[in-house]
Amino acid sequence: MIYLDNAATTYPKPNSVRTAVETALRKYGANPGRAGHNMSLASAEEIYRCRTAAADFFHAPGPECVAFTINCTHALNYVLKGFLRPGDHVVTSCLEHNAVARPLHALTQMGVAVTKAQVYPGDHDATVNAFRRAICAETRLIICTHASNVWGIRLPVERIAALGHEYRIPIAVDCAQSAGMLPIDMADSRIDYLCIAGHKGLYGPMGTGLLVTANGSGLATLVEGGTGTNSAEEEQPEAMPERMESGTQNMPGIAGLRAGIEFVRARGTSRIFQHEMELVQYLYRRLSRLPNIRFYTAEPDPRYFVPVLSFNVGDLPSETVGRKLNEHGIAVRSGLHCAPDAHRFYGTLEQGAVRICPSAFTRKEEMEQLVRVLASIQ
Amino acid sequence: MGRPLILVGSITNAIKSRNILARAGIHSNVERIPRSNANRGCGYCIYVPVRTDEAEIILLRYGVPVSGRAERGDTE
Repeated sequence: MIYLDNAATTYPKPNSVRTAVETALRKYGANPGRAGHNMSLASAEEIYRCRTAAADFFHAPGPECVAFTINCTHALNYVLKGFLRPGDHVVTSCLEHNAVARPLHALTQMGVAVTKAQVYPGDHDATVNAFRRAICAETRLIICTHASNVWGIRLPVERIAALGHEYRIPIAVDCAQSAGMLPIDMADSRIDYLCIAGHKGLYGPMGTGLLVTANGSGLATLVEGGTGTNSAEEEQPEAMPERMESGTQNMPGIAGLRAGIEFVRARGTSRIFQHEMELVQYLYRRLSRLPNIRFYTAEPDPRYFVPVLSFNVGDLPSETVGRKLNEHGIAVRSGLHCAPDAHRFYGTLEQGAVRICPSAFTRKEEMEQLVRVLASIQ
Repeated sequence: MGRPLILVGSITNAIKSRNILARAGIHSNVERIPRSNANRGCGYCIYVPVRTDEAEIILLRYGVPVSGRAERGDTE
């Protein structure tokens, strides 16, 4: 199989990730942060190693700022529903995944107002100005994607964070497509809430995500329960990360995520980015020679894109193309990618699009095979 | 006199505290608090056999939420 659905979940995982998960199942079989016996403490040490690895990777103030979630959607819901109240206004972008769009829609039913700022691919100044125009006196939060999961379009989140802070408005960033791919420096950018998927560019197992913030104590909780601390109190603890981590943790998943972060760090974010971007640019140029390929974006420029490429084959439904590629052993994602706003942006709500996303393990020969098969289904 | 313990709440704070103190050359161990109680319930502490007062000051300087001190007897 040629696997090019890495924007959804990276596959294969590094050997070190598989080993870490297996080791966790074998050696860290007790609840971390609950008991005082040796295996519980060993489990807690492994969890802490992942917190430290994540905090270092994203330049967070400390490991206590890293809360484990079940995915990026979970982290985004924590921020949106924990922070916003009726009467608040929030600014977001016109390219958001449903992980942001649907919680925001639910919040509008409770009196939260939303403005979607226009994104201008290839023009960061115009995008920042659109966010500036969207801010009003009631704006309490800016939330946006770091990179579109459909078109790969990057948003200048560091500049948007600086803009927000001019008005004392915090920013939350959906890093589902960017973590492990683009440099993310919390200390330098002053992004307030990072919401991260563990199973994509960080090469961890599915069922892992991160909420990284120094401000978690200020969020209302969506889930309360056992934390292993202050058990006699009815109130959920205020301190991070326990405030956001009720119930037993995904120990094997977190161990795998730790190994994934270490894999990315060892290989180098910029090297992975360059490898994947070269593949996508190569694919773009090769597909440009086929008469029926319909692109919606310019050839990906690393300043403005991450290595995600979506297109269509003539007027064929994207699902038809996806099915034909699967018959040739090529795994891609077609349809709307849970991001109808992003498809509305380029007018592909009806047809959807075929999305290609390589990983650190993808080879040029695999792109060439994809081109050959696409040529055959013209 | 029992074993001197510094109460820090969570396992995250306990491991962080042990690592901070190790960098300062102070040996400590992560342990459960000796007895849960009706006011707060269970949690974690670090056992610091020597330089305990200095250790507490260091932890406070690093922003660790130290919630108090305790001692555990050999029979506990």
